[in-house]
Amino acid sequence: METRELFWDIGSLSYVLFYAVAWSAIALFLIGFARHFVKYFRARKSPVPLHLRRGFARMVMDIFSHRTVARRDRPAGNAHRSIFYGFAILFIGTSIVTVDYDITGPIFGGSFWNGAFYLAFSLVVDVGGIGLLGGILFMMWRRFRQRPAKLDYVRAYAGEESLRPQARRWIAEDSLFLWALVLIILTGYLQEGVRLVHEQPPWAGWSPVGWLLAEIFSGLGMDPDSAAAVRRANWWIHGVMALTFIAALPWNKAKHMIAVMGSLASRDVNALSRLPRAASEQDDEIGVSTINQFAWKDLLNFDACTKCGRCHEACPARLSGAPLSPRDLILDLRSFAERTQGKVKEGGPQLVGDVIPAETLWSCRSCGACLEICPVGIEHPTMIVQMRRHLVERDEMEKQLRDTFGMIGDRGNSFGESARQRGAWTEALEFSVKDIREEAADNLWFVGDYASFDPRNQTVSQTVARLFQAAGLDFAILRESEHSAGNDVRRAGEEGLFESLVEHNQEAMATAQPFTRLVTTDPHSYNTIRNEYPDFAETAPIKHYSSVLTAMLEDGRLKVTKPLKRRVTLHDPCHLGRLNGNYDEPRRVLELIGCELVEMPRNRDNSFCCGAGGGRIWMPDPPGKEKPAENRMHEAAALGNIDNFVVCCPKDMTMFEDARKTSGHESDFEVMDLAELVAEAIELKSIDLKQLPPLIDRITKAAAKQVADIAAERIADVVAEKVMQRLADNPELARQLAAAPQAEAPQVAAPAPVAALGGPVTAAELPGYEIPPKEGPRILVAVKHVGELGDEFSIADDGLSITAEHFEFALNEWDDAALEQALLLSEQIGSCEVVAVTIGPEEAEETLRKVLAKGAHRAVRVWDDCLAMADPVTVARALAAVATAEEADLILAGVQSSDLAQGATGTATARILGLPHAAVVLEAEWNGGATLTATRELEGGMRHRFELPAPALLTVQTGGNTPRYATMRMIKQAKKKTIDVLDGASVGLEQAGAQLRALTVPVKSGQAEMLQGDAAEVAKAIADIIRKKRGD
Amino acid sequence: MAGILIIAEHMDGALRDITGEMIGAATALKDPLGGPLVVAVIGDEDGSLAATANLEGVDEVISIAAPHAHFDAALYEEAACALAEERTPSAILIAHSAAGMAYGPAVAARLGSGFASDVFDVSAESGELNATRGGYGGKVNIELGFAGKGCVTLMLRGATFKAPEAAGSAAITPLSPDFSALAGQSTHLEYQPAPPADVDIAKADFIISVGRAVQDDKNIPTFSALADRLGATFGCSRPVADSGWLPKAHQVGQSGTIASNCKLYIALGISGAVQHLAGMKHVETIIAVNTDANAPMFNVAHYGATVDIFELAEALEKEFN
Repeated sequence: METRELFWDIGSLSYVLFYAVAWSAIALFLIGFARHFVKYFRARKSPVPLHLRRGFARMVMDIFSHRTVARRDRPAGNAHRSIFYGFAILFIGTSIVTVDYDITGPIFGGSFWNGAFYLAFSLVVDVGGIGLLGGILFMMWRRFRQRPAKLDYVRAYAGEESLRPQARRWIAEDSLFLWALVLIILTGYLQEGVRLVHEQPPWAGWSPVGWLLAEIFSGLGMDPDSAAAVRRANWWIHGVMALTFIAALPWNKAKHMIAVMGSLASRDVNALSRLPRAASEQDDEIGVSTINQFAWKDLLNFDACTKCGRCHEACPARLSGAPLSPRDLILDLRSFAERTQGKVKEGGPQLVGDVIPAETLWSCRSCGACLEICPVGIEHPTMIVQMRRHLVERDEMEKQLRDTFGMIGDRGNSFGESARQRGAWTEALEFSVKDIREEAADNLWFVGDYASFDPRNQTVSQTVARLFQAAGLDFAILRESEHSAGNDVRRAGEEGLFESLVEHNQEAMATAQPFTRLVTTDPHSYNTIRNEYPDFAETAPIKHYSSVLTAMLEDGRLKVTKPLKRRVTLHDPCHLGRLNGNYDEPRRVLELIGCELVEMPRNRDNSFCCGAGGGRIWMPDPPGKEKPAENRMHEAAALGNIDNFVVCCPKDMTMFEDARKTSGHESDFEVMDLAELVAEAIELKSIDLKQLPPLIDRITKAAAKQVADIAAERIADVVAEKVMQRLADNPELARQLAAAPQAEAPQVAAPAPVAALGGPVTAAELPGYEIPPKEGPRILVAVKHVGELGDEFSIADDGLSITAEHFEFALNEWDDAALEQALLLSEQIGSCEVVAVTIGPEEAEETLRKVLAKGAHRAVRVWDDCLAMADPVTVARALAAVATAEEADLILAGVQSSDLAQGATGTATARILGLPHAAVVLEAEWNGGATLTATRELEGGMRHRFELPAPALLTVQTGGNTPRYATMRMIKQAKKKTIDVLDGASVGLEQAGAQLRALTVPVKSGQAEMLQGDAAEVAKAIADIIRKKRGD
Repeated sequence: MAGILIIAEHMDGALRDITGEMIGAATALKDPLGGPLVVAVIGDEDGSLAATANLEGVDEVISIAAPHAHFDAALYEEAACALAEERTPSAILIAHSAAGMAYGPAVAARLGSGFASDVFDVSAESGELNATRGGYGGKVNIELGFAGKGCVTLMLRGATFKAPEAAGSAAITPLSPDFSALAGQSTHLEYQPAPPADVDIAKADFIISVGRAVQDDKNIPTFSALADRLGATFGCSRPVADSGWLPKAHQVGQSGTIASNCKLYIALGISGAVQHLAGMKHVETIIAVNTDANAPMFNVAHYGATVDIFELAEALEKEFN
């Protein structure tokens, strides 16, 4: 019967030896396998829910279809497919033989590996081997001859010119892997060939490759005896090589065969569009800073990586010379995970900082290009964001990013604009936009920061509003109740701030009048509201305006009257396309308005990021390197004769509008928003006749107010003139008037008998409060919750105050520097307590929370409404009272506050307390003892260093240190710290140094002559002025 | 209660401009408040400072000998208070400067006098002083009164009042008070000269300054190269120096250097904080570029533009290529 002998001419000793080798190989395989598992168990559980059953089904589909491997590289995909199926056939074939010989044979007796089954088996396995061999040979040609850039391990993007030692080992591993497979197949075929020469079975043709080889060997003169000799020796060679491959599988690149199954099955389909939430607020650690803080699936991801380089090729950060390649990131993480086996060693290299440098993590644009194309389901950006969370917590970030977080925290927008200005863009409209806080509407338009504040994008927002109005869409906005949606804040790693933005926006939407859905022009807001907000609370469904416009154009609410017939290209926003799959809507709009769409070479899921995502828009790109947006502009220009580069994302508008100029394509095409094209196609008039009556009403009201203002002034003048005239004409009347009792003039204070000098000012007397016993030196830091006045404000009718709504509040910059100095000293001294004190209303506790979050141990707040008018001397009296009660050993205050810039409160406090003091101090050195050293800054940069006895008071200048950032999570945690609130009524204004008489708006001394035009025109005008001035 | 006491400010053996400016302000107050106008120079080693302080309108210069030449806040406070108690002036004028801030408010607190700082306008009516200071980045003027105060300590803003040009004919009174009680209050260690810098803001006649809008130190070279190309001295505002992006020597303003000889000043991305304006608003021609059309800088500038400073820098490079 047709079969073959498995152990031909193998003696009993050799037989035992073979099994010993085989079992050892399997043992090594299992040990290697188990080591990986142990490593995975050391990691955290997945922070996002995994749907493993669905994932498993998808994984099976992905593997059998090779869908993910064949994308964007068909030849490699086909070759891999051939390798996969060839290998699978050989693996199954070998398994069948093992089952027949070692399991079913011994148990049931006999064998099924014979007859027709054997013949079919021989044929299939032979062909499988060809598939495997062919695929491998193609891959060898590709890797060693064709050498695509994505397989180059030199980190040129990071300025390296040669291979790292580790990369040399990778190359050796890659080569060995390919050669091992080739040799196993070739020795297998050789074995088949010589067996057929030796045995000459009539069914040799069922093993076509073996038969062909046998024919060749015979033709070359091989006789059955010499074939038997080769057969005897090669049996061992082939067998040991195959078993070695099995043993080594978990220890080298071949492990991807197994790891990929886990990696694909545990793939999070929402990765990046819905980031994992941070661990609970109570945890000391946030984000990922050690290898075991990754999830097990992340470690599995590392092992699945095959270094295929597709992420490396797609990454916009790498392409613009930033020190990040997603491939190398994963490979470095893998090496580290292997070296540490998922354990954290004291004193070893740090994951964040040593293994993965901070600048690598900050380079990411969160565009998802790597994640999208990874054939094995690695989620690079999710890992990056989690490591960024750690960096933010440690305050290791660029200044501009830190400032932006601060601004968003204080004002709810990244522009540092007054929150009240958020709805200002609607003022240019001919109709009024509903305020959802007062009026219900079908649609709530979540506008977002860029569309609200950026001037170019404001015009787009206005166009969108007009389109909505023209289509009869019932919509409203949240105005200042809207805060930044937080998508990029989250991706930049400030999770606590993101959470508070979500909380704020959800609260604003929940307390608004009813609406049924949300619309937005901003893909970033769209993404987070659609995918992340529901993790926190129920959120209305949200639509991007591209789909809203599609619907309007399709059902005729917007009628195209002038098809545009333009040649345009479209940029797919990462957050709209890749992250949310909305590729077709913008294209449909372009089709409906009659544009000819010429696709970008990198389109849809391969769209190339503008470079703004992941918070990068708040971090400067290194000068001298091509920015991602500029790279994109070259790509668009190469299409030739494009009229418009169409965007549908406010950040894209900003990035590409800049890049078009800086990349020299200003004259090639215009960057336009989708809505602007629609407006042209439907010939949208900015004033709709239906809107005329309310418009006239608005204009009339505005004009009337202006007329009234002017008239009032003129009338007052005229009346005054007339009265004076009458009085001059009629001296008798004037006399009578003068004799008449005067109206009671408001007296600020009765003129007290003037003492020569008032005598020393004394500390206020404040109610007592519980002060913990001192356990070391105590530093008191005086801080102020300062208001920045918006551009549009009005002074209250009493002429003495401006209501709080006109201000944006924050911690005074100088006090922040004083606090930092206190914290630095406290950290050095060790047992030191830092107590913050403020004289301010309840709202000032916002600032105290921030101060406590940065590290102050406790806080004291003194207030009474009478202190609203307090002058520096009065404030100093209250501070002196607290300092006395606290028995402070050192008092620090900012040199001045940014609101009133008195530069006096600290020094006055010191005098009231009779303490040594110094002003404008950049740096203080103190060990908690009797003397401290201070360095003052003098005008022009000179410094004065001197000693003072403690206790003392120093006023601190900015610039001597960099104040730390308190994350929103730290601020929330600071709620546990104590704030003592003291009634300040007893402070009184009796000893005030001055009384407020009036607040006035300064008359503008002179207004600059404004130079008009764009940058080039202004430059020309300035150049003329310079030349004229220099007498050129 | 009559007369005005001015505490002169000096550094490196020369009176600072603010001293003359305070004398100028005081001259205008002499009529309504009554004389005499007394200038105290503390730590005047060879009497030369007293001689320079003897400007038109000054009635008496008191030259006070001090144990050491360097500025000592405690000593200034002591001397000012002792003089005030002796002479009972109705106004004490002190500079609103790094030195003034170190003792001016203490003088007021110790005397229980009226007090206002950073005053840029002062007037007197029927013996009552009124002072005006700025607030909220110059967006609001704050008018203050000092009812019930027989004496008012005013700290005056620099580069605001006009110093008399002519010399005066005042008597110079030398005084050697006993400062021994202050011993141990503070010990002078050293003066650290400003780090050597290749710029001299005070001497420069053409300055290009950058502010917060440069965003990051990585962008500094772009603008310093531009300044080089245009032959301008490269200056900056306080936040830029505070962030360590440029040495302090580049900082224009009250706590930096006054651009005293500047004829053309280009402010790129500087909003115009009061303390910066103090260092440059007198310049003959000022060009301000800022995307915020409401920036106070536009109030002192002669030409303005609201274009992006990076685009402008590039365009200017081209203009002068």
